[in-house]
Amino acid sequence: MFSFTKDQQVFELQDIFFGGQPGLHPTVLFGGLFFKGNPDFTSAEKEIQSMLDVSERVGVPGIPDVFIKKEKDIDSILSFIKRVLPEGYPFSVDITDPVVKVKVLKALDDHGLLSRTIYNSLHVGVTEREQSMLSKHSPAMAIVVAFNPKDKSPDGKVEVLENGANLIDQGLLDLAKTCGIDQVLVDTAALAPGDYSGAAIAALPVVKEEFGLPSGCAIHNVVEKSTWLKDFECAKPLVDQSSNVNVPVFGGDFLLFGPIEYSSTVFPLIAWEDMLVSEYTEGYFGVTPSSGHPRRRLMG
Amino acid sequence: MNVEKPVLTVIGSYPAEVDRLQMMESYFQRLQLPSWQPVIRQAVKRMVDAGVGLVSDGQTRDPFMTIFTRGFGGCQVRERTEVVEPIEFIEPVTLSDLEFVRSVLPKDKKLLGLVVGPHTLSQSVVDNVYDDERELAFAFAEALRQEAELIEPVVDMISVDEPFYANGFPAYATDLIEHVVSNVSCPIRLHACGDVTDIVPSLLDLPVDVLSHEFAASPGLFDAFSEHFDESKQICLGSVRSDQDRVESVDEIVSHIQRGIEVFGTQLSQIAPDCGLRLLPESVAFEKLTRLHNAIMVVYNE
Repeated sequence: MFSFTKDQQVFELQDIFFGGQPGLHPTVLFGGLFFKGNPDFTSAEKEIQSMLDVSERVGVPGIPDVFIKKEKDIDSILSFIKRVLPEGYPFSVDITDPVVKVKVLKALDDHGLLSRTIYNSLHVGVTEREQSMLSKHSPAMAIVVAFNPKDKSPDGKVEVLENGANLIDQGLLDLAKTCGIDQVLVDTAALAPGDYSGAAIAALPVVKEEFGLPSGCAIHNVVEKSTWLKDFECAKPLVDQSSNVNVPVFGGDFLLFGPIEYSSTVFPLIAWEDMLVSEYTEGYFGVTPSSGHPRRRLMG
Repeated sequence: MNVEKPVLTVIGSYPAEVDRLQMMESYFQRLQLPSWQPVIRQAVKRMVDAGVGLVSDGQTRDPFMTIFTRGFGGCQVRERTEVVEPIEFIEPVTLSDLEFVRSVLPKDKKLLGLVVGPHTLSQSVVDNVYDDERELAFAFAEALRQEAELIEPVVDMISVDEPFYANGFPAYATDLIEHVVSNVSCPIRLHACGDVTDIVPSLLDLPVDVLSHEFAASPGLFDAFSEHFDESKQICLGSVRSDQDRVESVDEIVSHIQRGIEVFGTQLSQIAPDCGLRLLPESVAFEKLTRLHNAIMVVYNE
């Protein structure tokens, strides 16, 4: 269990708290909502509702991470989000195409959603146009991906956050500030198996000790790339979902746990892990769990 | 003119065009570090197209010091590299890039290996371990010795880059350089940029074959060398500025080279930009190299 000497920043969106000393707040879970072809909003609404229900039951916050691939779907997806989520409830938008990114930023502003948006993500592939649009339409929070194409170690991740690793003019953290984003979650950038995949987990406490910022990652992606698991059909989903416990154990604050369909398993799993961490960190470090923490919710 | 024509070369770096979006795509699709070879290939192609005969790998990955501190054990790359444990050679830092360059380099071109100097490394890092400049410098020298030994079979010449000589020449400079090159037999160049007019006699005593300096930015060097030059060394004549976007005319460069011939005669073996080109726009760097090539053609009647 970890306790950090660096003061830990805690960010808040609509009573969901990100960061702090381990054991203070529960891990925040991002459930991936992926649309294939034309968006199936009926099914998506059910999945979101299921996630919110299990989140409420166990006291672990859940946030839909909505993947937006095509420009033509932007408005319908944002209208859907507005309709199905409780008023003011945060969500994240996961976009890779820089052209779509800038369109989404404008649309988020038009829909009045920026104050509840977590932008997924800012990284060294940022374009000038994206920077300009982020400054003009700043989301409430951003996930910064600490991927350093030159160095896969935790040190390399710190470097790209601090100075941009000579790939961009400034570090990713300063870049976020320049774009008007003060609340930053650091994704420690999981790499493929055989390519130093454990560094993303090792970097979780490093980032917190170095910067005092909330850290997390999408460690389940490493499981998806573990081709040998194809020979263990029954085990693969289990390994995928359980891989997420690495994040709270190593002091992390949030995780992108994979498809939202895994909510019914992952939320109780992480609730259990958060309770384990909290029991020890309260006893040893004196960290009292917050009021909504699963340890309070589930153990009276 | 019947003297042997000097080779056009570079000091080290060439401006890289890095496709950061493609790198991120590689990460999101495969969770892998991207290959750096397309960047190196492009830099090498542009140097060759401009007429460079002794080509480097372009030092595209990082600034020249960071390339080595990233690769050596004991160093932590931060805003300034920090030495947090004893310096250790772990594996070759530049060998795979040089092997790649050799594989794509036309047969009539030569390959320049680059190592940063141990004095410069010792002066540029934040030292949390040695608390002794000399000990730190020799620790770097030992790691660089192993690097030089491993790259020697792949390259035609090794250049040791010591820009910090301009700020102060250590009493043990000769021992340091001797240590770095102790196990190699290929020709060695020493590059020291900045105004080194006050230390020319010391530079001439270094155990290297070629001295490389910024004669364009510091023309006072011609007089300083006139006074002391003894033909024990060959000269790499810095002939265009590396710190200015203005592209010198061919006529200007021709005059500069002719002055170099007056001072150094047949010992003038290399023509180069003053220093690395990394900070210039690529089109400017390319044009400077092209004009250097054209000026050499004019001076040597080709």
